[in-house]
Amino acid sequence: MATSVDKTLAEQGVQSAEQVAAFFEELRARFDTEVLAIQDEASWEAVRHAWQGRKSGIFVLITDNWLKKANAELKAVVGQGFNALRKYVDGRLAQLESEVKAGTEAWENVKDRVDLSLPGVVRPLGSRHLIRQVFQEIEDIFFSIGFSVVEGPEIETPYYNFEALNIPEHHPVRDDMDTFYMDLPKGSPGQLLLRTHTSPMQIRTMEKQKPPVRVIVPGRVYRRDNPDATHSFAFHQVEGLAVDTDITFCDFTGTIEYFVKQFFGANVKTRFRPSYFPFTEPSVEFDVSCVFCGGSGTTASGTCGKCKGAGWIELFGAGMVDPAVYGFVGYDPKKVSGFAFGIGIDRLAMLKYGIDDIQAFFQNDVRFLKQFP
Amino acid sequence: MKVVYNWLKEFVDVTASAEEIAARIALSGTNIGGVEKGVLGGVVDAEVTSNRPDCLSVYGIAREVSAIYKTPLKPIVPKPVESTTAKASDAVRVAIESPELCARYTARVIRGVKIQPSPAWLRERLEAAGVTSISNVVDVTNYVMLELGNPMHAFDLGKVRDKSIVVRRAKPGEKMQTLDGTERVMDPGMPLVCDGDGARAIGSGVMGGASTEISFSTKDILLECAYFDPISIRRAARSMKLHTEASTRFGRGVDPEMAEVASRRAAELILQLAGGELLSGVVDVYPGKRAAKKITVTRAEILRVMGADVPDKEVERVLSALGFAPVRVDQNRGQEGALLAAWECTQPSWRAEVEREIDLIEEIARVYGLDKFPARLPVARTGAARLPQYEAETRLRERLMGLGYREIVTIPHVDAQRDELFRAANVTPAKLANPLSEEAGVLRSTGSVTVAAAIEWNLNHGQRNVKLFEIGRRYALNGAEAVETPVLAIGATGEVRPQGLHDGARDYSFADLKGDLDAIGTLSGGIGWQDGGPEWLNAAKRGRIFLKENELGAAGMLAKRVAEKYKFRQDVFLAEIALGPFYCAYYGVKNARRYEPLPRFPAVERDFSLLLADGVKFADVTKTIQSLGIVEISSIEAADLFRGKNVPAGKYSLMIRVIFQSREATFSDAQIAEYSGKIVAALEKNLGAALRAN
Ligand SMILES: [Zn+2]
Repeated sequence: MATSVDKTLAEQGVQSAEQVAAFFEELRARFDTEVLAIQDEASWEAVRHAWQGRKSGIFVLITDNWLKKANAELKAVVGQGFNALRKYVDGRLAQLESEVKAGTEAWENVKDRVDLSLPGVVRPLGSRHLIRQVFQEIEDIFFSIGFSVVEGPEIETPYYNFEALNIPEHHPVRDDMDTFYMDLPKGSPGQLLLRTHTSPMQIRTMEKQKPPVRVIVPGRVYRRDNPDATHSFAFHQVEGLAVDTDITFCDFTGTIEYFVKQFFGANVKTRFRPSYFPFTEPSVEFDVSCVFCGGSGTTASGTCGKCKGAGWIELFGAGMVDPAVYGFVGYDPKKVSGFAFGIGIDRLAMLKYGIDDIQAFFQNDVRFLKQFP
Repeated sequence: MKVVYNWLKEFVDVTASAEEIAARIALSGTNIGGVEKGVLGGVVDAEVTSNRPDCLSVYGIAREVSAIYKTPLKPIVPKPVESTTAKASDAVRVAIESPELCARYTARVIRGVKIQPSPAWLRERLEAAGVTSISNVVDVTNYVMLELGNPMHAFDLGKVRDKSIVVRRAKPGEKMQTLDGTERVMDPGMPLVCDGDGARAIGSGVMGGASTEISFSTKDILLECAYFDPISIRRAARSMKLHTEASTRFGRGVDPEMAEVASRRAAELILQLAGGELLSGVVDVYPGKRAAKKITVTRAEILRVMGADVPDKEVERVLSALGFAPVRVDQNRGQEGALLAAWECTQPSWRAEVEREIDLIEEIARVYGLDKFPARLPVARTGAARLPQYEAETRLRERLMGLGYREIVTIPHVDAQRDELFRAANVTPAKLANPLSEEAGVLRSTGSVTVAAAIEWNLNHGQRNVKLFEIGRRYALNGAEAVETPVLAIGATGEVRPQGLHDGARDYSFADLKGDLDAIGTLSGGIGWQDGGPEWLNAAKRGRIFLKENELGAAGMLAKRVAEKYKFRQDVFLAEIALGPFYCAYYGVKNARRYEPLPRFPAVERDFSLLLADGVKFADVTKTIQSLGIVEISSIEAADLFRGKNVPAGKYSLMIRVIFQSREATFSDAQIAEYSGKIVAALEKNLGAALRAN
């Protein structure tokens, strides 16, 4: 039951000095709470009146109901407590009065008011490159389902870039991956090239480690294509590889679908189409429902330009690791199975953010960089 | 491969439209480039992957359609009327000198043909498929190639010397005038089809020769349909830059068994369109006939790879429809769904690339439907690890961003001359053997060269206040080995702070660069500075950066000589440090970091205004004070520096702030006065410093 100043202490069952002290403690807390509501002179006056008011202020009531009617044993204690409370309240009210008055004066003086439409102090801010942001997002998604991150050299040997991935010399796929070669000193033992995909790290990883393997490989890759709005001779990929004794095609599609829903949102639909890559079998191309037209193929202005009306957008190639690849790394293809995929980062970022020129990533115009803080 | 719908329908009874068919086969392995509506029921552009030469024909696509729509594929049985008197083998001789290049060569002879333009139906189909009509006989050879996948060639028999064909390897430097009228040097090692005198080439697997070309005066023709080795054809097509419909098909591998049927089909059409008499029989030299391969596929393996079952009936249906003739060979034959089920299949001649069990599994899965295998997320059995430098790099990037730098990503291909501006003399650049252009001829030897290019881009596009960084790699060669080094490159120019409400404008200066580098240096225990640096930095405004005794890189203002190359009209500042040792130190420092209890007694500050001779460094001041061995000195800071006004020439005024901190007691005034006296005396004695009255 709350302390009342309208009743005597005896009526409230107070018999000991401890109880008296507790009552005054409670009043002080009540004052502290009321003080929080003070914003201007009017609210200050309201609080002052409630406590110091001459007719029915709390102090008057304490004097009348508690002090005067206290029994002899408690009278001194009540007197002490009352004095302490009054000193505290008077002091705080006086302090608040000057604060309230000063504040009111500042507000009245228009020139002292802050103009909230003006900027504060502008500190220079940096930003992370969009390609890096997308890398990070993809790494985080795969890391959360147990994929480690590894990286490897961009200047590779033909063995890792082609042969060990089941792409022998004169394989037609080599025609599609026009390759940069390094100009090595005369008499060098072999060739070096700029990797055309991040897949060489599949081989390097499996050479180093026995199953289970779960890695992703973010990195830059190169193809000798003339640059235009959709082609850059350097671009970025995240390779993925999972190999274990029990990895199946169902695990593969499940992993990819998980990634896509995390990256594009839960409403995106996915689809796998059979395709061909020398280092996976079965191989697939992976499509997502078009994020621009919601998969309908049409927008308000007609046929969707992003998916050309198909409702699907081709995202990347993937598949179950071809057993021939295991032969190059000393895995037993009868005992292990796995999947691999290669996600094009630049394309993914272009799709997600509606960027129509891949060159914008590499020009690094600060007006571009600023858009992705 | 453009597939004409009406043509396709001759081989498979489907009611689905061209678009519907395109949508379905797209989901079973034939990528679709588009569908052209209207013409001949529609034309489907099939983008056939390089492992499926069988689909480079209308008949091959029809086989796919038949498997998907569960409709039978009609057999090809051409029955041209043959002469009862003359035999082909009497009219022409064929010899294969290089059986490794030519596994089969068939020749038919038709006499008395009338070369004339093709009828409309033939022209229309060819044109819809993207092939130009020439004359009836040539058109038929193209038509049959599109229909059945086997390229063929018709020679003017009258121009074939000795009526004799020899297939042999091209000799180095051997020339031939091809059908397109140009004289070409043949790729040595490619198959060449020669006539009697053995020297004059009449054709190759890539393109026919001009000397035996069909003309309107041609009467007798020799119809060739052969099988050439794919690798040698591909190599030849690439080296001669001659990619034709024929070279594409031969290069991927045609069906050798189909060669004779295709030849017969062509003869049938030629008789129909050009008349003449087909000599009986065929000259068929077939040194490379292969026995049909047997491949077994088991349910256990289907389950192990695909993770879900396929019913027996579907396995058998799909494999049969594709021509694999599956036969159950396991102990549980007849038992449906047996776990141990095994099917022995026969490789059809048109699917040479299907050799293994996994190849058959792919066939089953793609036609059965990939969507029938339910997706599931596999559980990880081990923990995952980030890249070793992940945390250090993340902290570095965050700190740089906090300091106001924007991250860039550049392409490392640069102009060799630009690269040289920044390259140390002992570095061999990673030069490309086949660059796209001279401006992209080497991989950057420094991170600075591409950051400078990014600054150049921005200045040229009106962006004058720029602070950039790139975390990337620089490249070099060490003999025949490539060296890739992770580096941080920083570039800045223009105003570090624009004119604003609260502060005035200020240009980026060396002090900004140094302060920012020191700020990121604290991540790795602090960096040190020494005089000097690369030549491309301004000699008065540059420094070498150290991590302990390990040199990390350098920072400074771009030298005028280099800035002029870029036509920079404002000061540009660059820095580059190697990140390997930086990251390494990050973890070392982090692991060694321990809490230091806060002092319980107040610190005391004393300022000293010194007049120093130019050339005396702040480091000389601190060293002199430290040499006094006063343990209570916790820091010595530079608080103000100025020249001119009341400061004589050759001197400068430096105010230093010394902070005294005791862990044992509160300082007395006398103690501080004593220390101050020692400091002033030492500075006066060692550095000739004079104390200025404040
Ligand atoms: Zn769309």
